[in-house]
Amino acid sequence: MISNYTVIEGKSFRYWILLGILGGVFLLGLGAFVYMEVFGHGVSNMNNQVVWGTPHIFAIALLVMASGALNLASMATVFAAKHYKQFRRFSAFTAIVLLVGGLAVLLLDLGRPDRLLLTMIHMNFRSMFTWNVFLYSGFTVLCFLYLWSMFEHEKYVKIAGSAAFMGRLILTTGTGSIFGVIHAREVFHSAITAPTFIAVSLTSGTAVCLLLLVGTFHYTGREMDTRLVQGMRNMLTFFTMLVLYLFVVEKFTKFYSPAYYDVENWVLSGPYSGLYWGGVIILGLLAPLVILFNPRSGNSTGGVLTAAALAIVGEFAFIAHVLIAGQAYPLQLFPGHEISSVFLDGQSAVYAPSLVEILLGLGGVALAGLLYLLGIRFFRLLPKVAVAPDDWHPWNP
Amino acid sequence: MTMDRRTVLGVGGAAAVGVLLAPGIHLIAAPPNETTATGANRWAMLVDINLCASECTACLDACRRENNVPLFGDPARDIHWIRKVEVQDKDRRRPPFSIPMLCNHCEHPPCVHVCPTSASFIRKDGIVLIDEHRCIGCRYCMIACPYKARSLVYFPTKFPKGGNPRVPIRAKGVVEKCTFCVHRVDDGQIPACVEACQQSSKGAMLFGDINDPQSEISQRVKTLRTETIRADLGLKPHVHYQGL
Repeated sequence: MISNYTVIEGKSFRYWILLGILGGVFLLGLGAFVYMEVFGHGVSNMNNQVVWGTPHIFAIALLVMASGALNLASMATVFAAKHYKQFRRFSAFTAIVLLVGGLAVLLLDLGRPDRLLLTMIHMNFRSMFTWNVFLYSGFTVLCFLYLWSMFEHEKYVKIAGSAAFMGRLILTTGTGSIFGVIHAREVFHSAITAPTFIAVSLTSGTAVCLLLLVGTFHYTGREMDTRLVQGMRNMLTFFTMLVLYLFVVEKFTKFYSPAYYDVENWVLSGPYSGLYWGGVIILGLLAPLVILFNPRSGNSTGGVLTAAALAIVGEFAFIAHVLIAGQAYPLQLFPGHEISSVFLDGQSAVYAPSLVEILLGLGGVALAGLLYLLGIRFFRLLPKVAVAPDDWHPWNP
Repeated sequence: MTMDRRTVLGVGGAAAVGVLLAPGIHLIAAPPNETTATGANRWAMLVDINLCASECTACLDACRRENNVPLFGDPARDIHWIRKVEVQDKDRRRPPFSIPMLCNHCEHPPCVHVCPTSASFIRKDGIVLIDEHRCIGCRYCMIACPYKARSLVYFPTKFPKGGNPRVPIRAKGVVEKCTFCVHRVDDGQIPACVEACQQSSKGAMLFGDINDPQSEISQRVKTLRTETIRADLGLKPHVHYQGL
């Protein structure tokens, strides 16, 4: 069923233009890092209430997407969906490059990135950050092992792929728990935060795989059976509904308790409610579902790709909302009281991204893109023809 | 041109394994903590809010002088080790009050729990401090602290003219906060804010060893009704308030 894997030629004008653009954005990101390193985080729009800004949105969105990108490979190796076997290499490699892009932004946004080695010398195992250092590097190791077994030793694929699948679940649990475990922050302190991160990783990871696969096949003149796109569309539909379900459960639970009325009313009608309703709910969940369930758009590749792009917009909006609204909601020093101070206690924090933060974040996206372009140029990651078995008929709207 | 995939995957995998294992290898031995603090003491503060006037800023001014705490002229990014918070119940049924708010030097400090490099740590005598040479500026402690007691140094700093030579300034990119004036406490003095409050105001603030049953703070906490802020979080803060 699987035709030969081949590298792309990488000689076309478009390929070099794309490399040039991504290289340029990456350099701009590096420039933004140097600027912030020299002059301090004062050049950003972060403040003492919103201490994690746009770079963290990009970093965490890429990290969440990375673990979801492995899903396609897991479908073949763990869940025996053999028609996705031809995308396993692509899937594992994409997971690695997205992880590298996200981690680069995360590390370069540190107040003292020059002290990074300290995270490897002095460790506090009670910190979710320390665990994430191991989870990120461990996941990368597992993805490399998985790739290596796919390239060289097929007999180890099952065990390596299963380990990577477990690794991705634990990884995203760790990322979500960075927020979920923080008792002081009412917007995101919840046991359901980590599972929601996993569900969002599945939507965004599937979406990015769809966009990259269809794009790469189209621009390199390769053929892909439309049913494969339909299968991935069905996954995206199911995962999007899963996210919606988790959101409903979270809101239902919180609105059941009067203690959460203030914070939940603030989330749904406060200064960041536009991001929640417009970005997360409408663009990220409802619009993709409408497109995917519509017989016309749901059965056209253009419609599916639009839904995939919206799922990624929704993922960024979700991370942005968790991060920014989560920090902007004033700390409740005296629940049931109004407070004020010169340190802006009791006020919703005002935050809008600055150019330097956006460039740093885009630098991480560009790095991931560059690595992907180089990867498909130098490694045989993709089949020349992507086929589906004759007797397989995915559900269509 | 194609690369030998075996080599590249091997090198990539080895690099990833190296990054995974590196955290477990102590390349540099950490120096032993040098401190005279012992578990016999447990420093704490008590604030009588009935004596704390809204307009009085003696504690704030003394703290800023003592600890060379800079002001950048940007309210959202100025550094505050201690601040006055005005509190009013939403139903307006009780009179408003004003309290000094600072690091609560919790017994279970969430900032210490989340710090990846253990730059935030708690001394044996309960003072929560930041090793400014170990802080990587990740700001997770600022996310975790329920008291908004921490500030990131957003701008380059320089030692102020006439500043206190006993307290080094903090470089940009690290997090700083109240130390309970640890340099003074170790010399047998009380924190600058408490001293200023007792000298120039009504003496709303009291500092002492809550483990010493004879200390005034110990006696007052034992005999008067005092409270801590957000006690529901289970952090066991060591800044107590009387009259809340």
